[in-house]
This record gives sequence, structure tokens and C-alpha cells, in this order.
Amino acid sequence: MNTKLYTVIYVVLFVSATVQVLVEFAGLAYWTAFALIIVLSAMKAVLVAAYFQHLRWEPRSLTYLIGIGLAAALALTFAASYSIL
Amino acid sequence: MTDSAPGSGGRDDPAHRPDGGQQADASTAAGELTVPARKSDYEEAASEFPSMGSIRRWFVTTNHKDVGILYIVTSLFFLVLGGVLAWLLRIQLWAPRTPTTTVLEPLAYNQAVSAHGLIMVFWFLSPFAFGFANYVVPLQIGAKDLAFPRLNALSYWLYLFSGILFGVSFFQGGTFAGGWTMYAPLNVPTFTPDVGASTAVLALTLFVASVTVSSVNFLTSMHTMRAEGLTLRKLPLFTWSILLTVWMMLFAFAALLAALIILSSDRLLGTTYFALESPAGSMLWAHLFWFFGHPEVYIVFFPALGVMAEVFQTFTGRRIVGRKWFIAAMVLVALQSFVVWMHHMFLTTINLQIKTLFMITPIGISLPFDLMVFALIYTMLKGKIRFTTPFLFVFGALLLFIIGGITGVFLGAIVLDYEFRGTYWVVAHFHYVMVGGVTALVGGLYYWFPKMTGRMYDEFLGKLHFGVYFVGFNLLYFPLFVAWETPRRVFDYSAGLQVWHQLATVGAFVLGLSFLIMFYNLTKSALSGDPVGDNPWEYATTAEWAVPSPPPLENFPGLPTYRDGSLGFREESTATDGGVATAEAATPSAAHHDEREEHVSHASFWPFVVGAGTFLLFLGLSGLRDASFPEGILGSAYLGTAALGGVVTLGSLVFMGLEPFHGPALADGEAWPFDGLEYGKVGMWIFLASDVVLFGGFIGAYVFTRVAFGWTLWEPIPENPVPGLVNTYLLLTSSFTVVLALVAAEKRNRPGLVASLVATFLLGVGFLGNKAIEWNHLFHEGLWLSSNVRASTFFLTTGLHAAHVIVGLVVTLYLAARAWRGAYLEDSSSVEYFGLYWHFVDIVWLFLFPLFYIL
Amino acid sequence: MSTTTTDVGLDVLAQTGLIPRGTRAFVFERIFEVFLALGTAVGVVVIGYMLYNAYKYRAGGGRGSDADRPVLGELPTGSGGGRKLFTSFFLSTVVVISLVSWTYGTLLFVEEGPEAEDAMEVRVEGYQFGWRFVYPNGHTEDGTLYVPRNESVRLVVTSDDVFHNFGVPELRVKTDAIPGQETETWFRAEETGNYSAQCYELCGAGHSFMTATVVVMEPEEYEAWYESTEGNESETGNASTTAGATAESDLGGALVEVAG
Ligand SMILES: [Cu+2]
Repeated sequence: MNTKLYTVIYVVLFVSATVQVLVEFAGLAYWTAFALIIVLSAMKAVLVAAYFQHLRWEPRSLTYLIGIGLAAALALTFAASYSIL
Repeated sequence: MTDSAPGSGGRDDPAHRPDGGQQADASTAAGELTVPARKSDYEEAASEFPSMGSIRRWFVTTNHKDVGILYIVTSLFFLVLGGVLAWLLRIQLWAPRTPTTTVLEPLAYNQAVSAHGLIMVFWFLSPFAFGFANYVVPLQIGAKDLAFPRLNALSYWLYLFSGILFGVSFFQGGTFAGGWTMYAPLNVPTFTPDVGASTAVLALTLFVASVTVSSVNFLTSMHTMRAEGLTLRKLPLFTWSILLTVWMMLFAFAALLAALIILSSDRLLGTTYFALESPAGSMLWAHLFWFFGHPEVYIVFFPALGVMAEVFQTFTGRRIVGRKWFIAAMVLVALQSFVVWMHHMFLTTINLQIKTLFMITPIGISLPFDLMVFALIYTMLKGKIRFTTPFLFVFGALLLFIIGGITGVFLGAIVLDYEFRGTYWVVAHFHYVMVGGVTALVGGLYYWFPKMTGRMYDEFLGKLHFGVYFVGFNLLYFPLFVAWETPRRVFDYSAGLQVWHQLATVGAFVLGLSFLIMFYNLTKSALSGDPVGDNPWEYATTAEWAVPSPPPLENFPGLPTYRDGSLGFREESTATDGGVATAEAATPSAAHHDEREEHVSHASFWPFVVGAGTFLLFLGLSGLRDASFPEGILGSAYLGTAALGGVVTLGSLVFMGLEPFHGPALADGEAWPFDGLEYGKVGMWIFLASDVVLFGGFIGAYVFTRVAFGWTLWEPIPENPVPGLVNTYLLLTSSFTVVLALVAAEKRNRPGLVASLVATFLLGVGFLGNKAIEWNHLFHEGLWLSSNVRASTFFLTTGLHAAHVIVGLVVTLYLAARAWRGAYLEDSSSVEYFGLYWHFVDIVWLFLFPLFYIL
Repeated sequence: MSTTTTDVGLDVLAQTGLIPRGTRAFVFERIFEVFLALGTAVGVVVIGYMLYNAYKYRAGGGRGSDADRPVLGELPTGSGGGRKLFTSFFLSTVVVISLVSWTYGTLLFVEEGPEAEDAMEVRVEGYQFGWRFVYPNGHTEDGTLYVPRNESVRLVVTSDDVFHNFGVPELRVKTDAIPGQETETWFRAEETGNYSAQCYELCGAGHSFMTATVVVMEPEEYEAWYESTEGNESETGNASTTAGATAESDLGGALVEVAG
């Protein structure tokens, strides 16, 4: 693990944050822009977790642990929102 | 750099934690790791530690067995309190009451109903079970103590002080009167204006903090400190039940924490999530509460199930039939418990598809219980059953649970549920289940009493207790099924049902008074009962019965191992691995601990002080309404109390961090699925998983409210995303500098480390400064927390995130100061764990930014 | 869920009379009876079996050899007996699943409710601490719901303030009254008379006394009453939206005055 790799990751994150805002101003349809923006956020989150929190090199159990928490939160969010549609 | 070898984790840095050092002994736990090689160490440890008879002992102890006893005694106190409230309710229900014939005024009745529920569910049931968990689990897994002993003591003190705070709420104009389910919008000051109602909510929040600390501690311990050969599937069933309970707690209580923080904010700061004008505030509360509330049912019941299994095995003299299926059933229930919550909401506006789904999942969850019940019943076959007091209680518990289970199936049929909703059918059903669980736990108390005290209880009085208890129980709760048409929390019921309510009231007194027999028996026996040896119960198998009663401070005569298929003890010195040498020289503070301090510590005064500090802080905050304290001397008193509490909390956390404390050594036994990871790292990730659910709850609340409002009609609060984008840049950069700090620490580059940490600090300050400017700007445009629900979600969610940033900055400052003096170069794990937290805060922002600024 | 095959299946079941249909009260009683009978039977069998074996295998009862008893310190294992366990489990699964799926047909019936043209609609507004009923012509009644016998009544229920729950136990109708939300339910009364409605969700000091009366009248009588409400509606109808504070006649309201 070296500084160079981390620097590359950092630059990618920085750029994609900028792109995210540009998408908003690109005049796309709302839900297209929505999907793009959320995907960009998710991608950045995965990069930070995989490299900065070095989950890539840890036992997979830690990833699953966070995944379970995330699944619980998403279940709550989606099922609750869907129930009132 | 990431894959540190087990045992090499020398971290003594207290404040690398998100919670400002709450988990400080994570560091010392595995930090100045020393394995006492000789038994004399352990006696020495004991000699420096105040004796059981000394009052001081109980304020400073961090030993899991002491903490277990504290939990049990305290929870029994709350049982009495909740029981007295129940008596008041039953007296009121002796006859249907008109407004002029009430015993308790209507509002007082509502307070008693609410407080009874809250106290029994939160301050009695779970803590009672966790008393046993504290005492027994480390023994059953072959550990000397939990991974973070001081955090364990802290959990207890937070629990006790949260209970006292709840008690105080009665004297602040009246406690919360909206039922234990706290439905919105009755739970906001518009409808429950008493200060005491806010205090009750804060008390519950403090209780949840205790649970969270405890969950992280138990999970880390149970996953990483098991004796050699004790794989997960070989764990005793009581320990299994606790393991699953704690997993459910970790996630369910995080959701409750989100709900309670939002509710506190509505009550104290004036946000409008649950207010009448919020688009679906009532529904939001119901979702958040029941998402927690259903797993909570199993959280309180599972330990009872574990006790039942242990006691059945011991007193039938037979191993549990279908043991692995029993475990599988528990795992299934634990998983499914998170997808059944909406069956509490069948009469709300949820749609038919959801109703169908949430009719199926609870049935799916009820079936594994059938299997467990049958497994226990079949275990009796070919047994040699001895009807001792513990067995009578768990046998009775199983019988009650069968009745509770069958009446629960009625609620699974939605058409019936529609009519049972809000009636005594529900009341009777869940009392059969929950108090059925209590019955098993009382059996557990008799079962482990000789282990805890070294003396035997009086068997005749025990059996008498069971007889009176069982009669009282059924006399109290069975008539409620017959009188099921009574609406819940109503005292003006139809006159035809009066006889059943009178029977129930008589039963309530019989049941309550039966505990006097137990209190007398146990008190007398603890002082003068017949002394017992290691194992008074024939056919007991678990490790706690293989050590003296009560067990010595560090539990075992050597290192427990199951390598040969059954429990044995090894010389401890053979357990050390290469890691120890590294660890001993780990940090400057470790270096000046001299040899005689090498044994494991058992005493710290700071957890108590932290508990007291948070008590004052929360008590002071309870005076807030719409973000300001009342005028005059009362307001100043609240403000002063809050300020004092804040200072005491922060100060004691720092002292706790700086205190030299040796936790138990890193074990080399079973650690699946976290093999090769240190306690500190495992603990941090487990904590972060719960934080994911906390933020998930907040984001879920935002999404839900926005959907109810009309997703695309909702305009983001900040008109301009650029300040948010700048903050994204700042946080991303600070994540990068934290990574650089770790690289520098590993290269033993002190200036690089200090510079990176200082850069992180400055970037974080920049983030907060930028946010302050933005908020100030919005404020001057007339937008604040209470303006509307859009503003509420914006300020509170990003505010919670900002609070995480502030905690991170305090830690960064601490790390930078220590690094300046040369710390972390030998062992960089503190920096690493702080980094995990900081990157997590960064990730959260990566989602908050688009959700609140651009979408 | 609602594929044609299941629909057809449900229709067939309904025609054979297996799935009860009729008034809410009829449907409830039928299902409740079956559950009660089966539940009692299962409970008696299981608890009886449990007690019998507890007695049979008591220590000193002379049964069971001492071979292969659990030993202190052993790694836990299970006993045999898996087949019996699974048979019982399978049976309980069949009972529970068939019971609940049987009631699902009824749920669909209840959820569907009466056809819109066949039913009259009344809006129910809960407030601390009483019930207000708003008729299609705008007429508002406080505390009493008048309905004709043998006609399906559709209720649209909401709340002015906190979470309430509107229920008429004898007619087996109940639904949440949630501020800002509208829930729907229906009922049909077959006998004239007075029924009491009650709040089923804790809502504050007057919760115990948050009642209303449902008066079931002969259809002609009802028509006459309904006609008589026409004309004087323009003010009352408008006032109904803001009538939260005008609940002085209500017992609950009076009570709060006393208790507060
Ligand atoms: Cu009400």
C-alpha cells in the first residue's frame, strides 16, 4: 500500500464529486439525474471503504457486517416508503 | 500495514474513539498486553482490589461478575417499581371508573400505564437478563472478562443513571403519559407539555447509549475471546441466545436511537418531524418505533429461551433434542425479526401488498418457535427429571409460553387482528409471552444463585415461591383473555367484565407478593445458606460449574481449552505468542508501567463518573423547549446543570482515557468470523455497523417524509449546492490526510504524522466553519429548525453529521498532541481506528450532500 | 399474489361456504370460533403431553438408565429424537399455515369492501376527546353516528390532533384515526339499536371516555332523518373543518376541564 495509490483514489473521488454537481446542471430528466447522482455517491463510498478503510485487505466478514447494517437501514427506508404509496 | 498480527496491537490511546474515549480501553485491552504467567499474579490482583464487603468495590469494579450482580440487583429494584405501578393500574381497574370515581386521575393513570411499560421492558427485563449474561457468558466462553471491562462498567452506570433520570421525570410536572409505544404526535410537547415527558425520553436515550456500548462489548468478546475448540456451533445454548440477542440489540437499538434523537429534537429544539403538520409524522414514528419494537420482543425473550434450554438440560439430565436445529431456529428468528414490524400497523394506511407481506413474515417467524418448544418438550423424554425450583420455573415458563404462542397465532390472522387491535387480547397475549420469559429468568436466578453466592437457597421456600407465583400469574393474566373486549389503557370498561378484572387484580397482588418470598429466601440464603461446592447440580455441563462458587476474580485456574473435546486448563505461559514482546514496548505510557502492574486491572472509578456526568447533562437538557431554556432562576438551574454535566462527562472521559488500565489479554482461541483481528478493530467496526443503522434511520426518516410530502415537490433547503460541494472537497481531503497520517506513522515519520493530523484538524474546522456560515445565512433568510419539516430534516440530519465531525476533531486534537510527544510510531493502530471512524463520517457525507443539496 | 388461479380458487372456496362472508361481525365470529376451538385443542394436547412426560420421567420414577447423561465440561451436543421433532414441527406448520391462509381469503373480502355505489359514506373525525361524523351532504353530527339498517356504510377516518383509533366492538369494525391520513373501513348492521363506539389508541387524559354512539335505524326512518338535515348545512358543514375546539358537549372534553 503506498501513497501513490491513495493519491489516485483521492483524485478520482475529488473529480467524481465535481461531476456529481455538474450532472445536476446538465439539464437531464430528474430521475435520470437522480440515478446518476446516487450511483456516483455509491461509487465514491465504495472507493473510500475499500481503499481508505482498507476493507479490500481485511477479512470479508467486516464487509458483511457493514452490509447487514446497510441492508437493515435500506429495508426500513424502502418498505416504509412503499407502504404509504 | 493493515494486517496486524493478533496480539501485536499495542494501543494505549484513549481518545481514538468516535465516542470520545468511551471505548478507550479498547486500546489498553489488547494494548499493554501481558499474560500473567503465574498464579501469584492473579492473587496479587485480588489483594489490591477492594473486597466484596467494601462499598468502594461496587463503585470501581469492572469485573464482569460484579457488574452482573449489580445489573441483577438494580433490575430487581426496577421490577418492584414497575410492579407497584402495575398495582396502581389494577386498583384503578377494580371497577369501571367514571371521571368522578377514579383512584388515579386520568392523566396520572396514563403516566402509570406508560411508566409501567417503559420500566418493565427497558429497565427491568433486558437488564435482568444481562445480569446473567454478564456473569455467565465470559465463563461459558472461557474468557477472564469481557474485551473492554471499563466499558462494561460504563454500560452499567449509564443504565443505572438512566433509570434514576426516569425516576426524576415523575417530579417534573409528571412523566411521559403517551404509552410505552410513544405514538406521535401525542409524544410532542403540543400534547404532552410536561418537562418530565422530555426527561423520560432523554432517560430512554441514555439507556440506549448503555445498550449500544454493551452490545459492542459483548459482540467483540463473544466473537474473539472464545477458548480454543469452542467454535460458534459448540457454544452453550444460553450463550447462543445472548449472542443473537446482542446482534439484534446492535441494530434494533440503533434504529430506536435514531427515533429517540429525532423525538428529543422535536421536544427540545422544536423540529417538526412528528408534529401535527408533518406530512406523515404519526406513520414515521410508528415505522421507526416498530422497526425497533419487534426485534425488541425477541431481545427480551431470547435470554429466557437460553435459560430454559440450560435448565432443561441440567434437570432432565438429557442433552437438548435437535440442538443444532434449535440454534438454527434462533438464528432464523433473529434474522426475520427485522422484517415483521408492520404487523403492528395493520389498521394504518399501509397498502394491501404490504399487509400481505407482513402477514406472511410473522408466520414465518412463529414456526421456528414451535420447533424450539417441541425440542424442549422432547428433551424430557427418557430424562431423569428433578423438580427443583429452577426447573419448576422454566417448566412453568414453557407452559405459559405455549399459551402465549397459541394466542399469538390469533393475531397473525389479520381479520382477527383488526378486532384485537387495542384490546386486552393483546395485553394478555404479550404478558403471557414476556412475563412468561420473566418466569424463566427467575428460574435462572435460582439456578445461578449458588454460583454467585457460594450458598444454596432454601428449596422449600423456592418451591413455595413458584406455587404462589404460578397461581398469581394465571389469576392475573388469564381473565384478561376472557375480558378481551376491554379497550387497552381504558379504565371505563363495560360493567359485565368487572368480575374478570377483579380476579386479575387479586392475581396481581398474589403475583407481586410472591416475590417477597424470593427476596426473603435469597437474602437470607446469601448470608447464611448452606455452602456449596463448584457444582451443586448433577448433569450441569457448562464451564461456570467447573470453577469455584463464586469464581475467583479471573475465573479459571489456567487457560481454558476444549482442544481435547472437553474442558481442560493449560498453563498460561504457553499461550503467549510473539505478539507480546512487541506490545510491551508499544508506547511511551506502556514503557513506564513497571513490572508489578502487569496483571489485569479490575478497578476504575471513571465509568461511574461518566455515568453521573451524563445524568446531569441530560437532566439539564430536559429543561429545553424550542431550543431555549425557560426564563429566570429555573432556566439558569437547568442550564447550569447541563453545563456541569457536560464538563464532568468530557473530563471523566479524558481521565478514563489517560488512566493506565490493563484489559484481558488477546486470546488465541476461536475468533470466527473475525480471526486475526484485534479487539479494538472488531469493536470499532461493530460500532460503525450500528452507526450505519443510526444514520440509516435518519436518512430513512427523511426519505419517508419526503415521499409522503411528494418527492419532487420538495425543494432542497440550500438554494446553492456550492457550499455543500466545498464541504465535500474538504472532507474528502481530510480523509486523504488521515490516510497520509497512517502511512507516516507506519514509516515512523513523526513530523509527517503530526503534520497530517494537524491538516486533518484544520480541514475539519474548515468544514464546520463553512457549515456555520451557511447555517447563519439560512437563519437570516428566516429558515431554522422549526420552520417546516424540510428545514427540520436538513438541519437535524446534517447536524447529527456535524456532531460526528466535532467528536472526530476532538479525537484528532488528542492524537496530534500525543503524536507530537512521539506516540503511535511503534504502534499505529490508534491512528488506524480513528481513520475508520473518520472515513465513515466522510462516507455519510457523500450521501447527505446529494440528498440534501442537489436532489 | 392475486393471480387468476388464486382468485378462482378463492371464489370456489367462497361458494362452498368455507370462507365466511357477510357482515364484519359474522366474519369475525366465525373465524374466532374456529381459532378458539383449534387453539384450545392444540393447547390441551401439547400441555397435556408435556405434563404427562414430566411426570413419567420424574427422577425416582424408575425410568431411564444412567448411561449417557451429560457430563461437566463436555462440548455441547444434541440428543437424538430428530424425527419426532420434525414430525411435530411439520404438523404445527401445516396447522398454522392453513389456518392463516384460510383467513386470507376473508381478508381480501374485507379489504375489498362493498361496491362504492352500494354503500353510503361517512367521514369520521377524531379529536381530543370525541368523534365527529360528516355526511355527504355536509351535515355534521358530534358524538352520534346515524346509519340505516342493512346498508353497507363506508367510513373514511381521520384525526384532527393525535393518533386515535375508531372502533365499534359489536359491529366488529375498527380502524386507526391518524392526523393527516385517511383510513377506510366499512360495516353493515343487521339490527336496529344503539351501539357504542370507542377510542382504541391512547390519546390523552380523556382517552377512557372518548366514546360515541352508533344509532342503527330502519332505512325509512334514516331517510327521513337525513332529509331533515338538508338545508341547514351550509354553516355547519363549513364549521366542521375547524370544529376541533367546539367539543364542549363531549364527556371527555368536560373531563379534561375537571382533571386539567
Ligand atoms: Cu382517542
